Amino acid sequence: MIFRRKNKTFTDSELMQQIVSGDHAAFSELYNRYKDRMYYYFYRMLNNSPEHANDFLQELFMKIVEKPTSYNPTYAFHTWLYSVANNMCKNEYRRRNIRLEYQEQVASKPAIDFFNEKTIEPEQVIEKIFQTLDQLGEEHRSAFLLRYREEFSIREVAEILGLPEGTVKSRLFNARKILAEKLNYLKDEIEF
Amino acid sequence: MNKRNQDQLFSQLLQNDQVGKPDSGIEDRLMYSYLLKSRVSKLRQNSFSSYFGWLFSFQNIGLKAGLVSMVLFLSIMNNQLSIGPGSISGSDSLFTQRVLLADTTNFIQPLDSIRADSLN
Repeated sequence: MIFRRKNKTFTDSELMQQIVSGDHAAFSELYNRYKDRMYYYFYRMLNNSPEHANDFLQELFMKIVEKPTSYNPTYAFHTWLYSVANNMCKNEYRRRNIRLEYQEQVASKPAIDFFNEKTIEPEQVIEKIFQTLDQLGEEHRSAFLLRYREEFSIREVAEILGLPEGTVKSRLFNARKILAEKLNYLKDEIEF
Repeated sequence: MNKRNQDQLFSQLLQNDQVGKPDSGIEDRLMYSYLLKSRVSKLRQNSFSSYFGWLFSFQNIGLKAGLVSMVLFLSIMNNQLSIGPGSISGSDSLFTQRVLLADTTNFIQPLDSIRADSLN
């Protein structure tokens, strides 16, 4: 990209301040810093759909283009960005009732028989995890993704989701408990 | 499976999970939108009202007073040190210029017209 920077590394907040003053290179750098992470988040939150993930990624950064001043520099940028992304997902769930749609699609997919498989690939375990998380609901999936994929602290996850820390801990505990039950028989078969 | 192992297992699984890359066209579209938006916002940035507002307010009065004092000091010092055009700073042994002192008790003949070599 022609606007890419060469030397100095800026913090996210500094880049946002530069974006407010019309710095193209700052916008390009911020986008490249977060595009893969946000794409993954949208992909997993929205029906494992690349089309939805791309659309939502673009919409998320369009919000920054249109109103960069909506970011308050006193807060961490990454938590603000994820909270915006999470609100977009919640709105989408409300609008299209995507959870039911996804469950129908999952039901139509051939189920993996974990008991009869000789070798279990990590990809299959991931699929099983997300199938299970979908049964629990999007609120569990978002907490789970933010905690284990993005490795945010409990406090940060609570901040992003706008929930008390106790609620986040409770959701993670429930998710872990159910997943452990489902995956317990796999733990010796998977090589990490 | 204890809690620590579960955390490690899930973290490791999700960290290694690959779902592909976003569409490369998104960046181009975003940059185009940003260019259009920043052109509009640049028009507003040309306004000096906020600068003049700050300049003629009591905000940072100490800083402003300090700056003005420094400018005045530098301009005065600059005039003191500068040598005017056309004046000769070297001394001429053949011509001595004396200062006239107005004193009614003494009569001092002006010496600026007397050649120094005639006094010897």
